[in-house]
Amino acid sequence: MSANTIYLALFLYFIVGSIIARQARSKLGSGVNDFFLAGRSLGGIVAALTYSATTYSAFMLVGLAGFTYIGGVGALGFELIYLSGLILVAFFGPRFWLVGKRYNYLTPTEMLGDRYESKAVAVVSAVAAVIFLIPYSAVQLIGIGALLEGISGGAIPYLVGVIIASFIAVYWTWTGGLKAVAWTDSLQALVMLTMATLSVIFIAYRGFGGFGGLFTQLETQYQTWLTVPGPGFFNINAFVGLTLPWFFFSLSNPQVSQRLFMPRSLGQMRIMVMGFLVFGFIYTLVSVLWGFSARLLLPDLEAADSATPVLLSLDIVPAAVALLVMLGISAAAISTVNSIILSLSSMVCRDVFKNVSPAIDEQRELLIGRIFVPLFTLFILAFATLRLDLIAALSVASSAGLLVMVPALIGAFFWKRGTAAGVLSSVVVGGLVATVLQYSGWRPLDLWPGVWSGMVAVVLFIAVSMLTAAPEKKAEDFLSYLRSELDRRKVI
Amino acid sequence: MSLNRQRIFWALLFFVMILAAFIVPFLPPLTDLPRVYGSFLFWNIFALVVIVCLGIITARWRDDHER
Repeated sequence: MSANTIYLALFLYFIVGSIIARQARSKLGSGVNDFFLAGRSLGGIVAALTYSATTYSAFMLVGLAGFTYIGGVGALGFELIYLSGLILVAFFGPRFWLVGKRYNYLTPTEMLGDRYESKAVAVVSAVAAVIFLIPYSAVQLIGIGALLEGISGGAIPYLVGVIIASFIAVYWTWTGGLKAVAWTDSLQALVMLTMATLSVIFIAYRGFGGFGGLFTQLETQYQTWLTVPGPGFFNINAFVGLTLPWFFFSLSNPQVSQRLFMPRSLGQMRIMVMGFLVFGFIYTLVSVLWGFSARLLLPDLEAADSATPVLLSLDIVPAAVALLVMLGISAAAISTVNSIILSLSSMVCRDVFKNVSPAIDEQRELLIGRIFVPLFTLFILAFATLRLDLIAALSVASSAGLLVMVPALIGAFFWKRGTAAGVLSSVVVGGLVATVLQYSGWRPLDLWPGVWSGMVAVVLFIAVSMLTAAPEKKAEDFLSYLRSELDRRKVI
Repeated sequence: MSLNRQRIFWALLFFVMILAAFIVPFLPPLTDLPRVYGSFLFWNIFALVVIVCLGIITARWRDDHER
């Protein structure tokens, strides 16, 4: 595909998104909550689309398709169990939303700090989120750079692709905060899903004469790909090691859990949850079928991650469809990166600066938060240009590393005895365990880093909390308010 | 059923469902069934059942203006 065609498509995409972002800015209020939470007034459909676009990154059509290519149906199980993690939102979503409104929380880490009555908890949790989410975002940019370079036959240099994606992400975010991110995410989610679905239908019909043909060929040529452990990639330890941390994604990743503060009512949150589930179910099936198609059409690939770019270059995919899928994958990555940038910026202004200088007024706090939008983007861009092994390791470790926040979050809502010391020890030690195991490749007892970091975090949170004094008054205030509200609103 | 009993009921049901999603495809007969109606179908049904259950739970949520 020619570089000029790709540049033109990206330019048009940027223009459409920018018009939407500027429209969003015209409806933006002037406070911190307006900029970072869209004034807690998101409607259900926009909330569902931004939740989907933020959750699903370039990983789906590249990484998950690659997992399917080498490991078979286990990839479907991994991703659908991950989707079922929305069960946690049924329990925690209304709780986040209720206390968010009552105590005016901007970030999940601020909530932890207040609930456990410790500024250190807020600061350390925010710093942990930065450490794990920056490499994760850098990998998204690396993915776009590699995709554009691959699909253009090298005519678009890697660095140019990375810079274009960063610019789009930061411009939309800077322009209109969360409202612009949510609205452009909605566009991007629709592009991601529509293009991916259309292209997989194209491939199934032109490559195999329909989905029946695709399944029949799988059953005859790649039988083991339809079972686990199948060809071997998804042995039970690998399956649990990959899936368990991602099951808790809706709680552990602040750019997602922060979205639980944003719907304007529980009814709109319901639309958000159900909309995301339908989106996720379709997108997962499409990505897995994409991987199976690559297995049948391109049986000899050396790198599984290249299945998508190579598949797009085949004659059975029309150039226009390939171009739109490329846009869809770029959209998936950009919509994840800009939400992370915004979330991390809100944590820096609220959990770090506001904690250090409680006297700063709201406008100054907002200014600090906004300044960190381009700063984080530059930081992520710098990481993406380095392409260090450590970045890849930290990115993979992000799910295991962020998992260590989960005991503290569950404890905040369900365990009066939880303490700040318990949170700090579980987050710091658990995070170190995740990083060291991921980077060294060491897997004691053949268990994956996420399993170890999760277990260490749970044990430390409970044990250290039992040995230290809990903030009883705050816990009682927090939990008794929730009890009465949850009963009134018929929330389980 | 009181809300507390409902919480326990749903938590237990989901726990069993998730456990099954992790374990059942790794056991016979699904390990010996290299067909689309094997593990592929099982995980799809699992996800659809979860979606229906979440639909039931969230449909009961009430906002202030609805009371």
